[in-house]
Amino acid sequence: MNEIFKYRAPTSRAELLAVLADHGAGAKVLAGGTDLLVDIRNGLCRPEMVLNLKKVDDFQGLSWSQTDGLIIGPAVTVNEILDDSTVRDAFPLLAECGRTLASHQLRNRATVVGNIAHASPGADMAPGLMCLGARVQIGSQRRQREIPLEEFFTGVKRTALSPDEIVESITVPASSAGARGSYRKLKRIDGHDLALVGVALAKHEGAVRLGIASAAPTPLLIGGLFEENSPDQVLAAVRAAIRPISDLRCSKEYREHMIGVYVRRLLEEVR
Amino acid sequence: MWMSVEVNGHTYEREVAEHWTLLRFLREDLELTGTKDGCSAGECGACTVMLNGQAVNACMVLAVETDGAVVETIEAEADDGALSAVQAAFARNYAVQCGYCTAGMVMSVRELLRRNPKPTVDEIKEGIEGNLCRCTGYQQIIEAVLDVSGQLNAETKGEVRYV
Repeated sequence: MNEIFKYRAPTSRAELLAVLADHGAGAKVLAGGTDLLVDIRNGLCRPEMVLNLKKVDDFQGLSWSQTDGLIIGPAVTVNEILDDSTVRDAFPLLAECGRTLASHQLRNRATVVGNIAHASPGADMAPGLMCLGARVQIGSQRRQREIPLEEFFTGVKRTALSPDEIVESITVPASSAGARGSYRKLKRIDGHDLALVGVALAKHEGAVRLGIASAAPTPLLIGGLFEENSPDQVLAAVRAAIRPISDLRCSKEYREHMIGVYVRRLLEEVR
Repeated sequence: MWMSVEVNGHTYEREVAEHWTLLRFLREDLELTGTKDGCSAGECGACTVMLNGQAVNACMVLAVETDGAVVETIEAEADDGALSAVQAAFARNYAVQCGYCTAGMVMSVRELLRRNPKPTVDEIKEGIEGNLCRCTGYQQIIEAVLDVSGQLNAETKGEVRYV
């Protein structure tokens, strides 16, 4: 990696947001680095400033309460989620998504928030988080705001963030605790690979929600379905939403077919 | 940036270029070339080292991020020339052919055994999923991990066929 950039590792939220406001799009926020450093190396991104958020105490937290739900700070790694007993007991779908993401070493660094903020169409954490009704808390010097995760993604690696904003947390509402769900990820090998397609399905209080990765420019949420809907009805809703493409990993037709296979299996298996 | 990092028990204080990865810092500045550069993109695991007790890809960490941290590399594995238990098990089980993946593989296995002293075959596969080996087909490596964790017998050996 030969690109020259400046580096800052602020220890307070206020300082980090101030540096970001000064540099705007010239600054890139570094969390796990497992996407950013690859993009810099490949010349896809040429920041003047790399801004490490991992030294900010306020950003470390992974917490759970009946009032605020599950709050995931931007420094929380995927392996921290997998090791968390609340996640394993109350949100097993999230743990299942996390286990499929990259490899053990990468999960030691990669963050949940970074996986979302990078906004890859194949982001493994997105389908599960969307099924569980996750919301994104966004901060900058100017304002604080919160949006549903499905509104955060605006295109391939594009998000609702302005250059001076960061994701300060992702929260999963307490009302989603105990949702039954599962994630199926189609890969070329039984190890570290990106999703050819990824399908999450959650059933909770009669409602059925699906989150789908690698089937459109953004991860998709398909809601408004109920347990009494037939598999054909669910599949019709899925087919109306997806817009898969052919790429170097597989064809559009294979993606469409396998999404159908996984949706039917998940409807059977998630009880 | 001026920084301080502990590597294999020694503290190094020096100026490090912001855009250097930990991998480049270890190999080119500290001349610890046991850690290998394979893909430089987090895919192959050849550069796996321990950062604050966790296995990470050194190509996916900026050197300056390790300011104040503790790093361990393959150079710290043997004790004054005597192989560590993991290294000895790799040798005993023919888990090394060309050797390029071995340093990273040993680091991943060390973290795995620290978390889970008696991993099953599936847990071993998950523990080394980020380390590509193009020679052994993994079978001998899995046997080495079973061996060092006191679990290698005819039955477990049978389980690792056709990885």
